[in-house]
Amino acid sequence: MELWQSLLSGFAIAATPVNLMWAFVGCFIGTAVGVLPGIGPALTVAMLLPLTTQLPVTASMIMFAGIYYGAMYGGSTTSILLNTPGETGSMVTAMEGNLMAKNGRAGAALATAAIGSFVAGTIATVLVTLFAPYIAEWALKLGPPEYFALMLLAFTTVSAVLGASMLRGLVSLVLGLAIGLVGIDQISGTARYTLGVPELVDGIEVVLVAVGLFAVGEAMYSVMYEGRVRESENGMSSLWMTKSDWRRSWPAWLRGTALGFPFGTIPAGGTEIPTFLSYSAEKKLARDSSEFGTKGAIEGVAGPEAANNATVTAALVPLLTLGIPTSNTTAILLSAFQNYGIQPGPTLFQTSAALVWALIASLYIGNVMLLVLNLPLVGLWTKLLRVPRPALYAGILIFATVGVYGMRQSAFDLFLLFAIGLLGVVMRRFDFPTAPVIVGMILGPMAEAQMRNALSIGEGRWSVMIERPFSATVLAICVLLVLAPPLWRRFGPKGVLAGEAP
Amino acid sequence: MRRAQTFIGAGCLVLAVVMAAGAAQVHGEAGYAGVGPAFLPWVVSGAFLVFGVLLIAQDLRGRATATAPAPGEHRADWRAMAWVCAGLLLNAALIEHVGFVMSCALLFVVAARGFRLSMGLDAGVGRSARDAGVGLALSAPVYWMFTKGLGLTLPGLTANGWI
Repeated sequence: MELWQSLLSGFAIAATPVNLMWAFVGCFIGTAVGVLPGIGPALTVAMLLPLTTQLPVTASMIMFAGIYYGAMYGGSTTSILLNTPGETGSMVTAMEGNLMAKNGRAGAALATAAIGSFVAGTIATVLVTLFAPYIAEWALKLGPPEYFALMLLAFTTVSAVLGASMLRGLVSLVLGLAIGLVGIDQISGTARYTLGVPELVDGIEVVLVAVGLFAVGEAMYSVMYEGRVRESENGMSSLWMTKSDWRRSWPAWLRGTALGFPFGTIPAGGTEIPTFLSYSAEKKLARDSSEFGTKGAIEGVAGPEAANNATVTAALVPLLTLGIPTSNTTAILLSAFQNYGIQPGPTLFQTSAALVWALIASLYIGNVMLLVLNLPLVGLWTKLLRVPRPALYAGILIFATVGVYGMRQSAFDLFLLFAIGLLGVVMRRFDFPTAPVIVGMILGPMAEAQMRNALSIGEGRWSVMIERPFSATVLAICVLLVLAPPLWRRFGPKGVLAGEAP
Repeated sequence: MRRAQTFIGAGCLVLAVVMAAGAAQVHGEAGYAGVGPAFLPWVVSGAFLVFGVLLIAQDLRGRATATAPAPGEHRADWRAMAWVCAGLLLNAALIEHVGFVMSCALLFVVAARGFRLSMGLDAGVGRSARDAGVGLALSAPVYWMFTKGLGLTLPGLTANGWI
C-alpha cells in the first residue's frame, strides 16, 4: 500500500502540465536521435547536461529519461528501414527487420517493434516499481567493501565480458580510469595530473569525453572511412498487423521481456547479450524457422526489441538503488544527478523520494507517449532519414560545441574536445569499445573512494574485502568472469562458445 | 590489421610511463587506509604497462584480434578528414573572438565541405555559399534558444546578444 501511495504521488508530480511537457520534449528528442544514425541517447543527454544548471531537477530528469528510452524506440525504426542500425541495441532487430522490410513488410515490423517496446517497457517499469524500493532498502546495509566489490563487478562486466576482446575492453577501462584521475582527489584534496593547467584542476568533464568520443569521433570516423558507403532505404508499407502477426508476436514480446529484465538489473549492462539471446531463443522456438534469415521472421523483431527495452528500463535499478551505472547512457544520467548534488544510491529513495517516484511515474507516461509518437507518426521520422550526411554531421558538430562550451565557457575545452575526438577515431578504427571509458571515468573515482574507505575500516588490511560474505561472493564472481572464458576456450568442449557469439 | 596493434601497445607503454611520472608527483597521507591518493595512479600505470605488453605480444604472435572495418570501407580519406579537423580547430580558436553564431556557421561550412569531398559530391564555391546559409540558419536559432531561452552563456559578437 505504501508503494501504491508513493507511486500515486509520483504521478501527481509527473502529470503536471509542465512536467508532461518535459516528458514529451524528452520522448520527442529521444525518438529523433534514435532515428538519426550517428547520434545516440548518451551523446544527446551529455550535450544537454549544461541545462541542469537552469532547469529544476525533476524536469530535467524526466526529460533525460524520455530521451533515454525514446532513443530505443527510434533506433528500431532506423534499423528496419535503413540497412544500418541506429543504435547498438537494435543490431539484432536490424537483421530480421531489414529482411521483412525488403519483402514489403516494413509496416508490420515497425508495428511489432513499437508495440513490443511498449509492452516490455511497461512490464519492466512495473517490475522496477515493485522491486527497486526493496533493493534500495537492502542496499542500505551495504558498506564500502560491498560497494567496492559491486563496482569492480560493473568494471569487469562492462570491459571484459562485453565486446570482442577482453584485453581491448580492459585497455579502454584503464583509459577511462586514467581520465577520471585528473583533478582533485576527493578524499585527500591532492591535485593529480593537472600539469599546472588551471582548467584541469576541476577534472575532465564526462560531457566532454562523451561528446568527444561519440559526436566528434563519430563524425571524423564517418568522413574518413564511410564516405563511399551507400545506404539504401526500404519502402514503407501498412502498419497493420495481421492476426497471425499478433499471435506470433505476443509470446515473443513476453519472452524478450523475461530475458531482458534480469540482464538490466545485475550490474552487467549492455543490451547486446539479451537481445542476441532473445533472437536465438525465438529462432529455436519458432514452428517454422525457414523465415529467419530469408523473408524475415516477425518473432525475430518482436523478441529482441522487447528484450532491448526491458534491459534498458531495468538498468535504472542499479543506477537508482546502488548508484552504479552499467552503460554509457546510465553513466551520463548519473553525472546529471551529480550536477544537482544528488548521489543516486539506496538513500535516494528516502532523501529524494518525490524525485524518484516522479521519475518512475514518468516512465509509464513516457511509454504511452512513445507508442503514440512512433506508430501514427512514423512517417514523420522516416523523413529524418533523408537529411543529407554533410548537413547532419556538420549540424551535430554545432550542437557538440554548444554542449561543451556551454558547460564552463572555455575555449580550452574545445581543443580538448578535438583531441578526444581523435582518440575516438583511433578507438573506433581499431575496435576498442567506448562504454568502458565512460563507465571507468565516472565510476573510477567512486570506486577509489569506496576502496579507501573500506581499507580505513579494515585499518589497512586488504582482507576486509573478503571477510564479508557478500563482497567475497561478488569478488569471486568477478574473478570467475575474467578467468572462465579463456579456460573454457582451452579446456571446454569445442565450438560451444563460438556457436553463441553473435 | 597487424602492426597497428603493436603501435597501440606501444602507446599504452608510453601512457604507463606518463602515468608513473604523474603518480610520483602525488604526495598525500595514506592515513588509516594504508593507501593514499597515489595508489590508484600507480595501479593504472601498472595496468597500462601490462596491457601494453600483452597487446604487443598478441600481435607478434600473429594473434591480434581482427579489427573489422565497416562494410564497404575504403582507404582513409585524409583530405576530407583535414577539412573536418580544420573546422573544429578554427571554431575552437575563433569562438571567443567572432562569437558563437559566426564561428559555428564557419564550422558548418568547412566540415560540410569535408563530408562532400569524402562522398564525392560537388564541393564548389556555390555549394559552400549555400552551406553558409544553412549554417547560419542553424547556429543562430540554437544561439538564441540557449542564451535567451535557457539562460546559457555563449560568446556573442555584438553586445545586444543577437549575433
